[in-house]
Amino acid sequence: MESCRLSDGRVAVRRDQDEIAACPNRGAELGVYLERPAVDTESETAVAHMTNPDPLNLVVVDDDEEVRTALRRLLRALGHKVRVFASAEEYEATPVEADCLIVDLRLPGLNGFELMERLRLRGSSTPIVFITGDGGPSPNDPTIHAGTPSLAKPFDEHDLIAAITRALSATHERAR
Amino acid sequence: MPAPANRQLAVRLAVSRALGRTRDLNGVYNAALETLAECLNVSRASVLLFDADGVMRFRAYRGLSVQYRIAVEGHSPWTPDSVDAEPILVPDVSREPTLERYLPVFTRERIVALAFIPLVSLGRVIGKFMLYYDAPHAFDSEEIQLASVIAASVAFAVERGKADDVARRSGALAGSEQSAVPGGIARNDSALWQTEAFQAGQRQVLELIATGAPLAQVLTLLVHIVEDQSEGVCSVLLLDTDGVHVRVGAAPSFPDEYSERIDGQPLGPHVGSNGTAMHVGQPIIDTDIVCHCDSQWDVLREAAVAIGLRACWSTPILSPHKKLLGSFATYCGTPRGPSHEELRLLETAADLAGVAIDHHQSQEALRQSEERNRAILRAIPDWMFVMSSDGVYLDYHVKNPEALLAPPEAFLGKSMREFLPSWLADDYDRAFERALATNEPELLEYSLEEHHERRFYEARIVRADSDRLLCIVRDITDRKRAELDAAAQRHELAHLNRVMILAEQSGALAHELSQPLAAILTNAQAARRLLDQSPLDLAELRAALDDVIKNDKRAGTVIHRLRELLKKSNAVLQPVDLNEVTREVLDLTHSDLLLRRMPIKTSLSPVIPPVLGDRVQLQQVILNLVLNACDAMSAIEPAEREITLTTVVDDGFVEIAVADRGVGIPDDLLDSVFEPFVTHRAQGLGLGLTISRSIVLAHRGRIQAENNADRGATFRCFLPVANGQV
Repeated sequence: MESCRLSDGRVAVRRDQDEIAACPNRGAELGVYLERPAVDTESETAVAHMTNPDPLNLVVVDDDEEVRTALRRLLRALGHKVRVFASAEEYEATPVEADCLIVDLRLPGLNGFELMERLRLRGSSTPIVFITGDGGPSPNDPTIHAGTPSLAKPFDEHDLIAAITRALSATHERAR
Repeated sequence: MPAPANRQLAVRLAVSRALGRTRDLNGVYNAALETLAECLNVSRASVLLFDADGVMRFRAYRGLSVQYRIAVEGHSPWTPDSVDAEPILVPDVSREPTLERYLPVFTRERIVALAFIPLVSLGRVIGKFMLYYDAPHAFDSEEIQLASVIAASVAFAVERGKADDVARRSGALAGSEQSAVPGGIARNDSALWQTEAFQAGQRQVLELIATGAPLAQVLTLLVHIVEDQSEGVCSVLLLDTDGVHVRVGAAPSFPDEYSERIDGQPLGPHVGSNGTAMHVGQPIIDTDIVCHCDSQWDVLREAAVAIGLRACWSTPILSPHKKLLGSFATYCGTPRGPSHEELRLLETAADLAGVAIDHHQSQEALRQSEERNRAILRAIPDWMFVMSSDGVYLDYHVKNPEALLAPPEAFLGKSMREFLPSWLADDYDRAFERALATNEPELLEYSLEEHHERRFYEARIVRADSDRLLCIVRDITDRKRAELDAAAQRHELAHLNRVMILAEQSGALAHELSQPLAAILTNAQAARRLLDQSPLDLAELRAALDDVIKNDKRAGTVIHRLRELLKKSNAVLQPVDLNEVTREVLDLTHSDLLLRRMPIKTSLSPVIPPVLGDRVQLQQVILNLVLNACDAMSAIEPAEREITLTTVVDDGFVEIAVADRGVGIPDDLLDSVFEPFVTHRAQGLGLGLTISRSIVLAHRGRIQAENNADRGATFRCFLPVANGQV
């Protein structure tokens, strides 16, 4: 930590990541410097990757029509093929081949977890991304450890793409 | 209209004055017709007397033709021997079979109704009055009583006039000795007492009564007048209003100690023949009070014997309604019975005493009732104003005039518009109009800012007569403040309850907001991607932006509802559609119910009249009931759960019912389920149902809980339909 008097009369203390500048009779100024997370650049890359001409077959299961429509619109704009369903039962009634499922946790009837369990029991290993409207899955949820990514609404497109990528690669890992 | 007793007194005075102006019989008859016309408002009347042969003959008449008099003369319902003759009333001659043969005569004379009033002297009919009407006439009892009073005075005057004639003819008018017959009623004695002095004295008594002199003074004067006319001394005993005890009305010639001894004795034969007369209600003639020792102990007799009196004649005093009021007694120095004239004097005195006592009692009753009214007025804290229909203060009764907007001397005779704010005067005007039109009491509630303080008033307005109103104003500030405090507390609690609900529901509410926010963000980012594409898909781009707008509004609605629920506002009463409120609650709880696996179904009345209420508070009631239903089913298998929301319109009420399939309410809690802190939930204060009930009650509705026949419980709220709606 170093302390110095600045030319304008202020006293400044500087450590690695924060700065305090005090000016007699004028109050103090506090600055904090944080490391920029590397996530952004990764997801930019991911988005760039997702817009490549290698389209995915995606399925969205959400009971909220607005969210469902918006996700279909976005993912199609990104170049993917999207099928949407309003409930787990509706999806199960017409199962479609998908590279990844994007499933709302809170659904009428079977919820997101239950849908996943049933798929796994039937031997399906389709990657899944959970989306949820009330602040993320509960901490004692075992699926977090099972490597199923979850996103709290509202979420950024970068986070969605990153989650899909993670889910795909996790499944890929397991398959190997 | 004066009280009947006053009216009778007035008539007696009128008769007495009219008769006092004349000495001869023709004068008496004309005075009688004059008094009838004046007091009973009868223009046609006649006086008839039995002649020496017992034939009824016209003596005086008004408005009758010769033909008529000739046709009916001689007809009489009574003979000279008739006793207990009562007036005969014929409201319509055509319906009276006994008069059928006179019908043509009546028709020619235009007589439709008539009355026979007997003239009775010493129990015998001596003649009659006839009253004639040219239209059917419903006689009332007061009218007949007045006619009888006049008849009694006229009969008396006729007898006096006849006696005068006899005396004049025999040349022995004044100064003759009474011929007393010991042990019997003397007859044919000269009328010593029928002097001008007695007539004048009688008028003096009547006038003294009319001026409202004390009863003792009137009776004392009466006793003196009678004593002047006779050789004995007199006393008046009164029957107390309790109907049991005897009071001395006047006994001026007896020693005071005797009056004191007799006053307050119970009524009975032992209070002398005077008391006996009262006891048996008949005149009692005790011809020798020394010899007739068989009568019991007698205070007045002792006194009478002590001052040398031997005989006692007494007669009961009756009111015009034949109620026993007392007795009038004359004690005489020789052991003998009264003469014919002395008996008549006694009866006249008793009659006059009756008028005096009756008048006194009615005045006393009036005074007591006025005193009672004054006492009631003194005890009433309300302000009373007598107002004219156009709002002028005519009279007032106010215990604390300093609390009024203006001192009484300033507002009496002035219009309320000079003192009240115009909006209030307008309200009063309308209330006056309604009260005058309907004759029903009108209620007006208002508040005024006085000395930097708001005071509340309640006015009751009733019609007093055709154009005056009684306005009773009560200061209800204390009550109103207590009500407002209670309402404030209720709002406070209700708000607390809403905050608690929202705290419990925060997860669900976050979900309600995150859905539209997710849709907005995703649509916006989709739109940005769409912009990069070539060629541009403008339709999809527009759809994305439309959805951004739509979902932003959706989020705004959620926030608005939250704010409403969290707002600490006073109730705003407005017509509310309970179906709409139910749907709003379902929107708000949708995701929570989904998460908790509480399937809900609705059965809403297709047509629903509005109820008058506060939208947020009614939402809160339904919210509480729905959450209560969820709690009741938390231990039940999800497949078995169901909440049913029903609205029904019935008989001026809208019913909203929330039924669950839960554990039901333990029987011992059914009565107390709305009490505070009664809960079987792990969380919460147990205030939800209490607050719901207080809200429903404040909406003039009711709420009830019952267990379903098979499973679970149903809560029903009944809220009155807003006025003017079916």
